[in-house]
Amino acid sequence: MSDTVGSDTDIQIPSPGTAGAGGARTSPPPAPAPAPATAPRRRGRGRMRLEIAVLSGPPIIVFVAFVIFPVVLAAYYGFYKWQGYGAATDWVGLNNYRLILTDPAFQQVLWHSLLILVLSLVIQGPLAIILAILLNQRIRGRSVIRVLIFVPYVISEVIVGTGWSLMLQSTGAANDLLKHIGLGALQKDWIADPKLAIWTLIAIISWKYIGFAVILMLAGLQSIPEELFEAAQIDGASYWQIQRRITLPLLGPTVRIWAFLSIIGSLQLFDLVYIIWGQYVSGTAGTSTMAIYMVAQGRSAGNYGYGSAVAVVMFLITLIVALLYQRFVLRRDLRGAITEGVS
Amino acid sequence: MTRKTRNVIAGVLGLSAALAAAGCAGGSSNGGGGGSGSGGGQVKLTIWQNSTTGPGQQFFLTAAKDYHALHPNVTINVQTIQNEDLDGKLQTALNANSAPDIFLQRGGGKMQAMVTAGQVQALNLTATDKADIGAAALAAESIDGTVYAVPMDTQPEGFYYSKDLFQQAGITSAPTTVDELEADVAKLKAINVAPIAVGAKDAWPAAHWYYNFALRECSQATMTSTAKSLKFTDPCWTKAGDDVAAFLKTDPFQKGFLTTSAQQGAGSSAGLLANHKAGMELMGNWDPGVIASLTPDQKPLPDLGWFPFPAVAGGQGDPTAIMGGADGYSVSKKAPKEAFQFLEFLATKDEQEAYAKAFDAIPVNPAAQEAVTDPYNVSTLQAFSKAAYAMQYLDTQFGQNVGNAMNTAVVALMAGQGSAANIVSATNSAVARG
Repeated sequence: MSDTVGSDTDIQIPSPGTAGAGGARTSPPPAPAPAPATAPRRRGRGRMRLEIAVLSGPPIIVFVAFVIFPVVLAAYYGFYKWQGYGAATDWVGLNNYRLILTDPAFQQVLWHSLLILVLSLVIQGPLAIILAILLNQRIRGRSVIRVLIFVPYVISEVIVGTGWSLMLQSTGAANDLLKHIGLGALQKDWIADPKLAIWTLIAIISWKYIGFAVILMLAGLQSIPEELFEAAQIDGASYWQIQRRITLPLLGPTVRIWAFLSIIGSLQLFDLVYIIWGQYVSGTAGTSTMAIYMVAQGRSAGNYGYGSAVAVVMFLITLIVALLYQRFVLRRDLRGAITEGVS
Repeated sequence: MTRKTRNVIAGVLGLSAALAAAGCAGGSSNGGGGGSGSGGGQVKLTIWQNSTTGPGQQFFLTAAKDYHALHPNVTINVQTIQNEDLDGKLQTALNANSAPDIFLQRGGGKMQAMVTAGQVQALNLTATDKADIGAAALAAESIDGTVYAVPMDTQPEGFYYSKDLFQQAGITSAPTTVDELEADVAKLKAINVAPIAVGAKDAWPAAHWYYNFALRECSQATMTSTAKSLKFTDPCWTKAGDDVAAFLKTDPFQKGFLTTSAQQGAGSSAGLLANHKAGMELMGNWDPGVIASLTPDQKPLPDLGWFPFPAVAGGQGDPTAIMGGADGYSVSKKAPKEAFQFLEFLATKDEQEAYAKAFDAIPVNPAAQEAVTDPYNVSTLQAFSKAAYAMQYLDTQFGQNVGNAMNTAVVALMAGQGSAANIVSATNSAVARG
């Protein structure tokens, strides 16, 4: 381990320096001739290199050691059939990938992940926009409502998962409540019933993450210049016209960024499902995700080579989705054309 | 100036590299095989065990202290690792060459993998050791006649049940056939308790139903040869799955059993039994201890009884055979000889009696078995000594990857998805992955 970190350092010494120097050279307009007083300039550059190294060196090392290195390792182990005892020696080439892509269980979790992704976008997005528009007005108790909506997002997944799983058990509080208010006929096995479980999950996800969406949308709304609304009102636009022609288009960049975060989050969803359903029941309840599959096949079954290959597949899927999204959806935002939607 | 700067940068980076490296190594530096070159000098041993609660943990601390008193040059550092965390941590430590000297051994396929990787020592037991431990228990910890772990207790499986609830339901004697068991399920439903508790969320408690049906359906020879070939071609494996499916039709388990965990809290399957919400539970013999920790007063359940898994009509297996593992301890590759000597010490009569008391378990040492007095343990011990043979839990026996696939497939069957054939095919395809 120390060897590896040592060699990482060797690679790293030039990189922050050169990157920094490059950044320094490009940000001010390139000077055609060096300034006459070279000494202070050199000192300035050296000092900057030092600062960059001191400030970014340790995080880069930690990042390489704990993020990049494991990713490389996963790619490496993905080519082996390996149960994790001793060194990996049983090279199987792309066989693990072949097994993953032909495993009906993987196709199932991929489908679940996509369903969660789409339902999260479709349910949380419009709801968050409506809530944000409502909460952007001066209404009584506005800050209390904002806090209430945001609180679930702050609570850790473990607590949320444990709490909901206790309440939604067939002998839990939710069914008890239904019975006491005379709706006993509606009692259901909210978690284990495969027809309901995915909706239970979506409901919990929406409840948990909508606060984040609302906060983002509120920030987006507040960045819309007040004059536009005033001008529209003076022009006689109705409330709905204002929302449709001004608020929504100008909220576009925020919505697209939120959707991006939501998509990435959905593809990597693990903790809530693992805590409420566990890796075994999630399969039969129809809530298992790619990450659950990875842990179940890798760590739990002790197939570390196969599990590593699953991790690589997950990484590639997420990467491709992220790149496509940036290329096709975020492109105009990245250009900074914030008012484009209005024209 | 530039050179100086570079030196400073290198220094800073070097320092952080050292910190990172120290961070990597910090967690495992206390294992490391201790004093491997021991010749009467000071020896420090590390042991990893999984008992997180009072008496079990105390047993190891006391044993370590007593051993130190007898052998002042040996100091034993007892480390407690939570049960579900143990396997992963141990595997990392073994691969990183920083394994503890002594550690809890699950046996079966896992032990086989460690032996293949050369990570554990073969143990040379003396005649006294063999007499202390007994041949049957040693067989569970051996591969091809070589012993790789010292067993501490036997964990035969059967039904733990509430005598009071059985009485209320009008059940006069423990069921000996599956038909009788089904009749008792109906009687327990009539007094409005869950007949049988099972923690299917953890998968293995549900899968134990399949194991026991397989134990009754498959002959001993089939079970042993399948453990080697890992090919589940004998029809008895499918038959066992059909048995589970047929039994499930009588709706014997508590409501929502798929999302019930086995051992955590009053709502768990052990908790249901502890609080008289369920009549019985199929479990290994650690269950009384778990149940005791979940009763309202956290004391052993006074009306706890035990009976073995009932017979199956027409099965190839011996009806007296018992499913059950053993908790044993292995010695890692680099550990000094004192590590094995400490295990020999733990197998002696006095230590075994203390062990049995602390864990509410059945010790391996026949001399210490006389100290077993709890009625459920007495019944278990009687059945165990009458048993034609004992089988290691199948998920251990067949190794982690096959075991895990088997457990998952059994849960799917219990959830009403898949069939007995799926258990067999899932198990077969797991072999391809690891």
